[in-house]
Amino acid sequence: MRLFKTPNINFMKYRFIALAFSAAVILAGILNLAFGQGFKFGVDFRGGTLLRILFAQPTSVGAVRQDLRAIGLGEASIQEIEKGGREFQIRTQLPKAEGEADLELEAHEIMANRVIETLASEENAIDRERGLKDLNAIDEKSLAFLLEPVIPEESAAAAEKIARFRKDQGLIRSLDEVERLGLAAEAVAELREKTYLGSLAVLSRETVGPQVGADLRKKATLATIWALVGMLAYITLRFKVAYGVAAILTLAHDVLFTLAVFSFSSRELNLPVVAAVLTIVGFSINDTIVIFDRVRDNLKILRRSPFASILNRSLNEMLSRSIITSGTLFLTVMALFLFGGEVINDFAFTMLVGVIIGSYSTIYLSCPIVLAWQRVFKTQKTPGKK
Amino acid sequence: MKKGLRWKIVLVVAVVVLAVVVSLPLGEKIHLGLDLRGGIHLLMQVVTDDAVIIETNQEILRLQEQMKKRDLVFAAVTNPEIGVILVSGLNPDQEVKVRDVLEDSFREWDTAMGPGRATLTMKPQVAQYLRDQAVNQAVETIRNRVDQFGVAEPTIQRQGGITGDRIIVELPGVDNPDRVKNIIKTTALLEWSLVIAGPAQDEETLLSPYGGQVPEDGRVVKGDPKRRAEGYFLVKKVPTVTGKDLRIVRRGTDEWNNPAVSFSLNPDGARRFETATGENINKLMAIILDDKVQSAPVINSRIQGDGIIQGNFTVEEAEDLVLILKSGALPASMKYLEERTIGPSLGADSIRAGLMASVVALALVIIFMIFYYRLAGINAVVALILNTILVVACLAYFKANLTLPGIAGIILAIGMAVDANVLIFERIKEELALGKSIAASIVTGFKRAFSAIFDSNVTTIISAVFLFQFGTGPIKGYAVTLIIGLVANLFTAVFVSRLIFDLTVSAKARQMSI
Repeated sequence: MRLFKTPNINFMKYRFIALAFSAAVILAGILNLAFGQGFKFGVDFRGGTLLRILFAQPTSVGAVRQDLRAIGLGEASIQEIEKGGREFQIRTQLPKAEGEADLELEAHEIMANRVIETLASEENAIDRERGLKDLNAIDEKSLAFLLEPVIPEESAAAAEKIARFRKDQGLIRSLDEVERLGLAAEAVAELREKTYLGSLAVLSRETVGPQVGADLRKKATLATIWALVGMLAYITLRFKVAYGVAAILTLAHDVLFTLAVFSFSSRELNLPVVAAVLTIVGFSINDTIVIFDRVRDNLKILRRSPFASILNRSLNEMLSRSIITSGTLFLTVMALFLFGGEVINDFAFTMLVGVIIGSYSTIYLSCPIVLAWQRVFKTQKTPGKK
Repeated sequence: MKKGLRWKIVLVVAVVVLAVVVSLPLGEKIHLGLDLRGGIHLLMQVVTDDAVIIETNQEILRLQEQMKKRDLVFAAVTNPEIGVILVSGLNPDQEVKVRDVLEDSFREWDTAMGPGRATLTMKPQVAQYLRDQAVNQAVETIRNRVDQFGVAEPTIQRQGGITGDRIIVELPGVDNPDRVKNIIKTTALLEWSLVIAGPAQDEETLLSPYGGQVPEDGRVVKGDPKRRAEGYFLVKKVPTVTGKDLRIVRRGTDEWNNPAVSFSLNPDGARRFETATGENINKLMAIILDDKVQSAPVINSRIQGDGIIQGNFTVEEAEDLVLILKSGALPASMKYLEERTIGPSLGADSIRAGLMASVVALALVIIFMIFYYRLAGINAVVALILNTILVVACLAYFKANLTLPGIAGIILAIGMAVDANVLIFERIKEELALGKSIAASIVTGFKRAFSAIFDSNVTTIISAVFLFQFGTGPIKGYAVTLIIGLVANLFTAVFVSRLIFDLTVSAKARQMSI
């Protein structure tokens, strides 16, 4: 089965249009970063606390923000995550006065605790004051300890049962649910007396101090640059300088283009996104090298043809492969995007953008750059040994 | 069958069997990362300056002793900055003698003499050694505490080699972060000191009998409001006994049956404790933990080597304090730089999502490959599945953690594996279109596609290596599976796939299903 016969499209003809298009997008991205909203750095890079909270009762972003405004955190970023208005992601940042030293991690911690307390219901606060334990937060060991006086033999097993139920549900909403787990009546009675059901559960909590954030920003930039240098060296070794330079310029374009698109989305720049960008770099180079490899072959066979037509021919010959590969890759990333869950959603989104950009740039940028290089420096066509 | 084929089959079968053996049973052999399993990740910094400061303070005491012993005159010994001791008010006539003392007994310091003064600077290699030791000791102490607390498979790692002052602690499956954080972070410097004055509401009231100045042999310590001590205390600078003098610590109860910590001192400590309590009946003895007074009971009688520490403890708090005291004090204080707590239910969610995404991605790829390449597609699918098995086996063998980004890495490696097969198959098709025989097409197809596959995999590995270099936990997991996947790819797509062709396509066949 074949998608189509080897086509004969003059890709090189469109190179200036493509160049203009890319330049426009990247310029828009830069303008957006300089004068517009810019990147929203996540806690990984900026420091702060990221909370994922599951509420017992559905609520809304507006209501959550209303509550947080009371403690001066109206500016916190609040995001709803599927699950019918019950799960939210909240990122807080401490306001930092000009010239003030970076705050220590503890300050972020205290802030996060206040967020959790504020969002919990008032009944919870009263119950806590009375010395009751939150059944939605208590650890398994303490729970077993609590149940020991009434069911000395089965306290550990009962605690484990409750913990497992809580793990599956995320949150216990009513003690009737616990009763149905087949616990002894005395145990349930004890729980009713000694515990209360918190109106929210903290699913995850990540606090990054300012030092680490600054460190990571530096490291992420360095990793990207070194990866590019490493690849430049390898390609130069395997092909020729022109190809190495073309590949790296193409990659730099891919990174900038993806980041430009990203800056217009409302997503936060965090570590997984950097990983995605570096993966795009990997895939784009893969694509580019496959084409260059074919150019290397064709140069040996078609010595007399002009360089531009050899490039065109190589692109055309590899077109069905490019479409199949990018297509399957797109499918797998799409699976990640749709089913991979919230945690890697930003990663998958960035990859989706990058896969398209990577295929596009290979055809419309990498080959034209090699061509331009050859014309400017008038080097030989033979691209090195195989 | 050709002879060369036989050992190739043996090799592939051996690799598959080995991979399966290494990775079974899956539940035990594959270690899930914190994001999938739930748990705590902590990054902390050892304040190594503390180690230098402690050493400097001890040396200052020793210096004063040595000078007095030799009747050398000095006005003051101060500590103007970390690792520097300044002796001022020297008698100019004694400078030579002072120099001799410093050079003989203080070899770990660089000495500089000025008019009437001497400056000692700790030698850089000595300071470096102290800092290095402090971090190593901190790692040991934390490991001790975590082990006693009972966490399965903890990771406690020093970051950044000999000059690194950061420690990573990963505790999978822990569901009570606050308690664990407290256990790890508490310096646990325990001291019993006689109270000179106090408690008082504030520092001013406390010091007013002394003209607002802290007496030379005293220091001011705050009470821990959580415990049974409020306000400010003026206590003796030199403690009677410290945590180092403890022989036995265990959880006990006080006379009202409240949780408390009971202790016994070693003979030397017991002797000092007995003398001090005997001489100070009806005065207060402060029990100070990390510069906070826990309680300050009245000394009713001469006390021998046993006692209890009270302080409104809950059972858990008393147990934790026992655990911390048993494991010894940290050599320096700790600062948290980063902490991530993942609840178990979020981890379970992520496992479901990760599995779902992998299954869907794999299914889509398999359906497409078989639909598009027919029989040859099955060949590719076998290579893909083998690739996944190899990645899993490598994770099991190297005891690497599987994280959610790690699953993403596997999925993307599968994407690359597909590309390798596509390159080969498309090339074979081209050769067939040129009218070559099937056998020749397969040979040239593989040969020609190899350079592209090799170059593209190597460059991607290069970028993944840099990712691994700078990445933290989850990102590392991603880089690891991607690298393993790509290396496995070179084996499965090129070697195994070729072998299957050689076995299934007979040389005389007229048609090929591709």
